[in-house]
Amino acid sequence: MTWWDALAAAGAVPAAFAPPASRGWTDLDDGALPGAELIEEPDLAAHPVTSPALVRAACFLDGIQQWKVVSYDGVAPVIRAYVATAARRRGPNRRPRTLLESSREFAIAPLASMKPAVRRVLETTCPDVVDLPLDRDGGLQPGKVLELARRVVDGARQNLEREIAERSLAVLGPEEWLLVDGLLSVSGKLAAHPRALGVIKSHGAQFFDGANLERALTVPAGHRTSVFRARGGHARNEVYSWYLRLWPWEGQDLLYGLLRIEARADAATVAAASAISGWLCAERAPLATPDARWDRLLYPLQDVETYLKARAPRDLLSAPGSRLPRTGS
Amino acid sequence: MYGVVTDGFAYSDLPTPLHDVVGAEGDPTRAAEAPTARQEIRYWTAAVLRQTPEEPLQPVPIGQVFVASDADVAQALRMDGYLYSATPSAIPIGLYTAAGLESPVYLDADFLIGPEAAHLNISGVSGLATKTSAVEFLLASIFEHFPAHKGKVAAVCFNVKGPDLCFLDQPGALSDEDRRRYERLAVPSRPFERVRMYAPLKADGVNLNTLRTHADLVHIVEPLTWGLAEVVDYAEVLLNRDDIDAKADAFIDFLRDRVLARTFDDGFGGTHRVQTFADLDRLFRAIFDGLELTSGGRSDTWRTHHIATIRKVRNRLSNISTRCKGLVTDDGPSSDLPWGAFEDRAVYVVDVANVDPLGQDLVFARAVSKLREHLERRDLGVDAVVVFVDELNKYAPGDGPDTYVKKMLLDISERGRYLGLVLFGAEQFRSQVHRRVVGNAATQLFGRMDMDELATPGYQVLSPATKIKLATLPIGELMVRHPHFTQPIFVRFPKPPVLRGRDGVERFPPAADLPFDDAVVRQLVRLDRRIRPNQVKDLIAERDEDDVRRALAAVRRTRPDDVLAYFRKVLGGRVSTDIPRERTAVPPLNPIADEPY
Ligand SMILES: Nc1ncnc2c1ncn2[C@@H]1O[C@H](COP(=O)(O)OP(=O)(O)OP(=O)(O)O)[C@@H](O)[C@H]1O
Ligand SMILES: [Mg+2]
Repeated sequence: MTWWDALAAAGAVPAAFAPPASRGWTDLDDGALPGAELIEEPDLAAHPVTSPALVRAACFLDGIQQWKVVSYDGVAPVIRAYVATAARRRGPNRRPRTLLESSREFAIAPLASMKPAVRRVLETTCPDVVDLPLDRDGGLQPGKVLELARRVVDGARQNLEREIAERSLAVLGPEEWLLVDGLLSVSGKLAAHPRALGVIKSHGAQFFDGANLERALTVPAGHRTSVFRARGGHARNEVYSWYLRLWPWEGQDLLYGLLRIEARADAATVAAASAISGWLCAERAPLATPDARWDRLLYPLQDVETYLKARAPRDLLSAPGSRLPRTGS
Repeated sequence: MYGVVTDGFAYSDLPTPLHDVVGAEGDPTRAAEAPTARQEIRYWTAAVLRQTPEEPLQPVPIGQVFVASDADVAQALRMDGYLYSATPSAIPIGLYTAAGLESPVYLDADFLIGPEAAHLNISGVSGLATKTSAVEFLLASIFEHFPAHKGKVAAVCFNVKGPDLCFLDQPGALSDEDRRRYERLAVPSRPFERVRMYAPLKADGVNLNTLRTHADLVHIVEPLTWGLAEVVDYAEVLLNRDDIDAKADAFIDFLRDRVLARTFDDGFGGTHRVQTFADLDRLFRAIFDGLELTSGGRSDTWRTHHIATIRKVRNRLSNISTRCKGLVTDDGPSSDLPWGAFEDRAVYVVDVANVDPLGQDLVFARAVSKLREHLERRDLGVDAVVVFVDELNKYAPGDGPDTYVKKMLLDISERGRYLGLVLFGAEQFRSQVHRRVVGNAATQLFGRMDMDELATPGYQVLSPATKIKLATLPIGELMVRHPHFTQPIFVRFPKPPVLRGRDGVERFPPAADLPFDDAVVRQLVRLDRRIRPNQVKDLIAERDEDDVRRALAAVRRTRPDDVLAYFRKVLGGRVSTDIPRERTAVPPLNPIADEPY
C-alpha cells in the first residue's frame, strides 16, 4: 500500500490534481529585481557569432519536477512530488550517456493543519515529508497553499541540480564544458567555473530598458549582444551574461530563438563570447523536436529531460487530458 | 521461447524529415554534422516458433535475447523429434543464417516423401529464384539422407526446358563457400551417380531428340518410343484436351478391347490385325469405303459407332502420330523406362523439352500412370519415387479445361503420399497453378518472387516485411514452409553439385544429326560393339526407311544376342516396297519459343 492509499484509508479524500506544467527555473524566480552593467562596451551592440564554430566536448545538465495533490484532509492538500536531475556526457560517438543523476520523491503537506490521526499516518507511511508552514492570516487558501508547494518543489529541484552540477564539475575533463539548463548564478562553484555555461530560455527578467532593451530583444539570428554583468537577487552569485539569437525571430515573436547565456564573470568570458555563441548555434542541429520550445531548446538538454521523464514514476502524472469520470477498469 | 524476426522498425524523436532539413539549414550535406546524434532505436518483432513449456500458452515476457545455436534452431523448428530420434528422418534443406551463425535446417522425410504428408512446391521468378537448382540440390540431399528404414528411393525428372536437366551426372563448378556448405549440411558435393535419360527420337526416327547427344555422353540416353497400343491406352489424354466425349471413349474402348492385336473382321469382307498406326489407318479406310459401297453413303453408323465419332478418333490418333513422330512410331514400343527394375538412388530423366505439348502430356500421363500402377503393386523396384515437374503451370494450370494430366496431378497430390509417389513441382507463378495441386504440397519453397505475384490473394498470410524480403531475396536463398515449422524460415542452399544445363551444352555441344544410315549404325553398335558399320550400311542400302526403322525397333525391343543377325532377319529379304506411304504433314511448331533451344 502506498502512503497516499494509507491516507485515504485514514479518512483523507483521494484526489488527482496536477497543477499546470511546471514553469521551469527562470530568472524571475526569487522575485529580486535584476540589474545589468555593460562590460564589453558602453552601449549594447550586436556581434556576429564565430562561424564555422568549434564544437566542444561537454556534459549537459537538466532537472525535472512533477507533483500533484493526491488527497485532501479537510481542505489541507497533501502533495506527492518528484524531482530529478541528471548530467549526461556526450561521448565521441555523439551520443549522450548519463554521468550523474539523482532523484527525490516526497510528500508536502501543511502538517499543522492536518487532523492528528491522518498526519500520523502520513508521517509513518511516507519516509520523506516536507512541512508547509502557513502564515497566520493566510490560512488554508487553496491557491496560496499550491503556490507555496510549488516553491518547495522548485527549491528541492534546485538543490538537486546544484548538487549534481557541483559533483559534475569535479569530474569534468580538462577540455570539457558543463552546460546547465538554467541559471549559473545559483551556485558559487558554478558561477566561478571557467567552463560552465548557463542556458536560459525563459526571459522573465529584463535587464535593460530603452534603446538597449530594443537592441537586446531584436538581436538578429546568428548574433549575440555585448557581454554584461548580470545582477540577480539575494542568493545570486555574480556572472557575466549575453543574449544570443539562434533563429530569425521576424515573423514569429521577440523571444523566438532567443537565449540568455551565463558564464563566469571574467575577462576571458568577454573574449570567448563570440566563439561560445558560435558553438551554441551549431547545437541547433539536431532540432529539439518534437518539443514545442525547439527554437530555444538545445537537443542535448532536451535529451537529459527526456531521459529524466522516462525514469520518473509512471503513476505520478497520468496522461494529460480529460478529467471526466474514469470508466471501466 | 524461440522466435524468428519478422519485421524491423526504427523510431526516433524526429517527427518529420523536414525537421532535420531545417536543423541543417536546408543543406543536406550538413545533416550528418550535428554535434549530437539523434536518439534512435531499432525494434524488431519476432514470431514465436516454440515455447517451453508448451502448456499453458503464455504471452511473451520481456527478457534477454540470444542468437540461436544449432541446437536452438533444432528445438525452435521442432526438428528435434526427427533429427535426434532412434530412426532419424531428417533431410537437410539449407542453412539458417543469422548474425554470422549458420545452422542446418532439416525437413522431415515423413512429411516430404510420405506417409504423413508429402510433395513439394517451389515458386519464384525465372533465373533469380533458383527453382530448378534447389530441387536438384534437394534430390542430392534426399539421396544421401533418405532414412534406411524407409527403403529405396528414386527420382523421375521431366526435362521440359532446353538442356536444364541433361547433365545431372556431370560435375558443376562449386565455390569453396559452397563446398563448405555441403560439408555443413553433410551432403556430398558430387553429381548424381546413377542417371538414365530417355528422349524420343526426331522425326527421322533414328536421331535422338535431346540436347544431350555429345558423343561422350550419349551412351546413357535411351530412345523413348511408343507404339499404337501405348497411345490408345492413354487416348483420353488426347481427347480430353478439347472435349469430353463419351462416344469417342466408347469407340476407343472398342478399339482397345476388340481390335488391337487381334484378328478382326471389318464386316465388309476384310480381315485386319491392327498393330501399327498404318494397320489402323487401313482399317479406317476399309470402314469408310465399306460404308460408302454397301449403303451408298446412306448409313452413318458402323457397329453402333457413328461415323463422325470414328472420324474424330481417327483424326486424333493420326494427329498424334504426325505431331510426335519420333515419340509415337508405327513400330510399337521399343524402349521404355525400366518399370519394375528401378534402382535405388537413381535419377530417370525424361527429356520432353522438344516434344509437342500433346506429346508431353502423353509421356507424362503414361509415365506417371505406370509409376502409380507399379507402386500400388509394390513392384517398381524402389519404395518411393520423386516426380519432378518443372513449369507445373503448364500441366496443372489454375484455369482452363480439366485435362487428363491435370486430373492426374491432382490425384497424385491427393493420394500419392500413401503410395510413395511424390510430386516436386516448380513454377514461376504459384497463382497460375491449380490451387489444390499447390495446396497439397506439404513443403513449400519460395525463391525471389515477383511483387505483382505477391499482391495476389494467395500471399495474404505473409507480413509486408516478409513480402519485401521475398521480392528482394538473393540468389541461393529460399523461404521454407514445412509442417513442423510454425513460421516460414529463410535458408541458404549451395549451388547444385551438377553441371548447369547451359554450361553443359557449351562443354558438350550436341552432335550434329547423323545421316540416316550412320544413325542406324550408331544405334546398333550401341547394342553390340562387334558390329562394323559397313555391314549395316550394306544391309540397309536402298531399303525403305520405314522398314529399317521397324527392324531397328524390333532389335531394341528384343535385345537379341546376335544383334546383326536378328536385324538382318527382321529386315527380311530385299523386296520392293509395295505402297509407299505418302504422309506429308505440316511440321509441328516448336512449342518452346522463348528459349534458344
Ligand atoms: N545456391 C545457389 N547459389 C548461387 N547461385 C545459384 C544457386 N543455385 C542456383 N544458382 C544460379 O542461379 C541461376 C538460376 O538458377 P535456376 O536455373 O535454378 O533458376 P530457375 O528458377 O529454375 O529459373 P527458370 O524459371 O528460368 O527455370 C543459375 O545460373 C544458377 O547457377
Ligand atoms: Mg528452372
